[in-house]
Amino acid sequence: MTETKEMNQMKRGLALIASALVALLAVSAAGAKSSKSTDTTITGAGSSLVAPLVSQWVQPVGHAFGYTLQYSSVGSGAGIAAITARTVDFGASDAPLTPDQAAACKGCVQIPWALSATTLSYNVPGTPNDLHLTGPVIAGMFLGRITSWNDPQIQKLNPKVTLPDLKITPVFRSDGSGDTYAFTDYLSRVSPAWKSKVGNATAVQFPAGVGGKGNPGVAGAIANTSGAIGYISVAYALSNHLRVAAIRNAGGYFATPGLRGIAAAAATVKAVPSNNEMHIVDPPKGAKLAYPLSTFTYVILPQRSAHAAELRKLVFWALTQGQATGYTSKLVFAQMPKVVLVAAEKALKTLAS
Amino acid sequence: MAAASIPTGRLERTRRLGDRVGDGALYGLTALAAAVGLAIVAAIVWRVADGAWPAIRAYHLGFLWHDEWNPVTSRFGARDFVVGTIVTSFGAILLSAPLSIAVALFLSELAPPAIRGPVGTLIELLAAVPSVVVGLWGIYVLAPFAAHHVAPLLGGGRTESTIFAAILVLAIMTIPITSSICRELFTGVPTELEEGSIALGATRWEMVRTVVIPSVRGGVVAAIILGLGRALGEAIAVTQVIGNFIPLKGLFDPGDTLASRLANQFAGAGTNIQAASLIYLGLILLVVTFVTNLAARRVVTRFTRE
Amino acid sequence: MTELSLRATGRARRRLLANRVAEGGALLAAVAALAVLGILVWSVFSRGLDAFSLDFFTKGPAAFGQTGGGIAPAIAGSALLIAIATAMALPIGILTAIYVSEFAPRAIARNVRLWLDVLSGFPSIVIGIFVFALMVKTKIPLFDVGHHQSALAGGFALAVIMLPLVARSTMEVLALVPSHLREASYALGVSKWQTVLRVILPTAFGGILTGTTLAVARAAGETAPLLFACFLAGQTVDWNPTHSVSSIPIVIFTYSEAPDPQSHAQAWAAAFVLIAFVLVTSLTARILLDRSRRKLGVGR
Repeated sequence: MTETKEMNQMKRGLALIASALVALLAVSAAGAKSSKSTDTTITGAGSSLVAPLVSQWVQPVGHAFGYTLQYSSVGSGAGIAAITARTVDFGASDAPLTPDQAAACKGCVQIPWALSATTLSYNVPGTPNDLHLTGPVIAGMFLGRITSWNDPQIQKLNPKVTLPDLKITPVFRSDGSGDTYAFTDYLSRVSPAWKSKVGNATAVQFPAGVGGKGNPGVAGAIANTSGAIGYISVAYALSNHLRVAAIRNAGGYFATPGLRGIAAAAATVKAVPSNNEMHIVDPPKGAKLAYPLSTFTYVILPQRSAHAAELRKLVFWALTQGQATGYTSKLVFAQMPKVVLVAAEKALKTLAS
Repeated sequence: MAAASIPTGRLERTRRLGDRVGDGALYGLTALAAAVGLAIVAAIVWRVADGAWPAIRAYHLGFLWHDEWNPVTSRFGARDFVVGTIVTSFGAILLSAPLSIAVALFLSELAPPAIRGPVGTLIELLAAVPSVVVGLWGIYVLAPFAAHHVAPLLGGGRTESTIFAAILVLAIMTIPITSSICRELFTGVPTELEEGSIALGATRWEMVRTVVIPSVRGGVVAAIILGLGRALGEAIAVTQVIGNFIPLKGLFDPGDTLASRLANQFAGAGTNIQAASLIYLGLILLVVTFVTNLAARRVVTRFTRE
Repeated sequence: MTELSLRATGRARRRLLANRVAEGGALLAAVAALAVLGILVWSVFSRGLDAFSLDFFTKGPAAFGQTGGGIAPAIAGSALLIAIATAMALPIGILTAIYVSEFAPRAIARNVRLWLDVLSGFPSIVIGIFVFALMVKTKIPLFDVGHHQSALAGGFALAVIMLPLVARSTMEVLALVPSHLREASYALGVSKWQTVLRVILPTAFGGILTGTTLAVARAAGETAPLLFACFLAGQTVDWNPTHSVSSIPIVIFTYSEAPDPQSHAQAWAAAFVLIAFVLVTSLTARILLDRSRRKLGVGR
């Protein structure tokens, strides 16, 4: 019976392949720290700006409370959509909820839980770090009106720099993003043309450039494209060694996105409104050192949820121990003003299961 | 016929009953399974149409030729994505169809018999290379090469994320599909026909032109349409290289397609109407690929009837 | 006396020249296409090998800004997704094929085939939207499924992609089962269900396996439907099917757009793993197919 023999051979071959696969899986499974001490997993999704900071928090939070914190960096827009649909336990966004979104989210509370900035990073060979730019010039680049790096408007701001005759490629976020919100919020305040043509939202119709997905996608496009300029969270710009522009603030000072500049912008917040929505882009003249593209980033929580106790613990931890400079400084997250922390803790108390 | 019947004991009757139950159960189960497939097709169409409904009601068919995608003002239209999809898919097919046919002809008529099998198998295997891998390769190898060495020759700039790059990526994805179907078709042409043609003094090219291709014309067209269907619906590899930008400017500038916009923005749609508009894009894609596949079938049935 | 030349002239010459040009063109095209495909596979293998290490297979992704780490959660996640998808698609696909080849009237059989073709022609991203609307956005009272992304939702999306492939290939094999086997079985008084279970399916076993393997290879590389059904994921190996899990295609997709060289290296290495899996399974499927066809007496 050759047929059965073939069958047997076939089966043996299959068994071999199967066992090889199983072995590979076993190695993966055994090696990975699948420390499932408890079954509780708190899932969150959203802002890629805050993702580096949250990834620092995962381990200490796990140790402190014995549950697994799982955060996916999918972009602020996706974070808002996910918490609205309640497909995650919490959302995270650098853009405050719009009134429509707040209504759709049905009983969500947004709490500021970190403070950082969006940079303008560029890839222009032969230029130094801290290239000087102004709001109107940035708007001109992203409107497609300033198209070359040696444009007189840029040259005038940087008299000592030799700028190449290189095409400007603006890079923007193709997904819904809090960085886009902060960036377009800023441009809408400094450029009437931007305000009327494009506007301010987590996703807009950009008149020029190429789109990248997430902060990593934009950073990747900048790194790979000669002549590119794009807006990315400061942590990503630093970790990828991209050059970062100094932007002129309302007081006429060219500010860089460092801890001092961000803190100075945040210090302009004197009172926190009841929905916790704060805008610190383009702060007034008085804030001399303020970096004009700073932003608060929010965690969005359902007021009623089965995991309310865990969420309250998590966010309280984030607002206190999580702000320790050991976590925040190297990623360029600045200390939040006291008035904001007080408002945040007050909002947290409204959570119930 | 009673005389011929075998005496039926209780055991036999139980067996018959068991058989009838077994047959019935198998019939029921299999019919149910077949119905599940149908139900899934219906459910997909229904769910997608239902999800797109708010946008359909708001924008009607004008959505198809409106050229904005502005989440700020909630004005959405599909024109540039439709055009982008058509340009990239047809561009890819224009490149890949002649190449695929040539590869298939080479493997079925020209190549030494010893290499036909292995190389043919190799090409079929390449049809299984996942699109995300082609896209990865597209970003780091193909797009830079195309931008710096090919586009300048054709009068393009040096931008890497372009419609042109998407066309190349899609062409590479469709070559294995189209060429392996064509190879099977060409190999299936009766040898007597080919030999007859050669015996009458035709050159190999004349034999291919007058005998091989005409006898499987319909199948070749269907193979090309199947490749087109794949190109139309491809989201991942395209979004990795196309630049995700509208309005469309030119071949060597960034662009976007229906599937690619969906892949980018669906998870993070800021408003309900934006989400519905994105699903509307999906509905257009669904209709287009449906029609394409039906067309391929039509061509094949007409061809087999001939 | 004029010398007779064997050299072609005039029309014949032109014909031979056309032939030469056409043959050269085909050769060139074939070489070009093969070269491009070869470069693709070569790039993946050569670049992917660089990032291989034990950690790559045994660790989760590194924390932000740190080096090292691996794709163990993605390997496990892909295995889980494929297992779920196969468990759903295989029985339904095979039963559908049995229905079409053994029971259905001709007209209905043609319709089922049509719908399966339509299903396999749907863009996978649209299937992603469908599963999102069905299982992620909506609440399902059963178990702990609906209302969030999960491996079950992702596996279901992959099953929808696998179903037509499994069903169509099984149909083809069942059609190849020699009718004398069926008839012999019926002549011995064996009932239909026994015939199907004891004669037809065992004979077609190899072919069904082939179809399934090819479907698995296809599903393993699908990215688009997972974007909305099973995208959010943790950093550790997770075998819970109600959780959203990581997967190899999603890892390649996200890492491919990242800026740092380390992520690129990991994307290439993950692509190596994926492509190796897909090529090996496809190749195995082809070998199985050849064998089962020989067994069924169908020459190649």
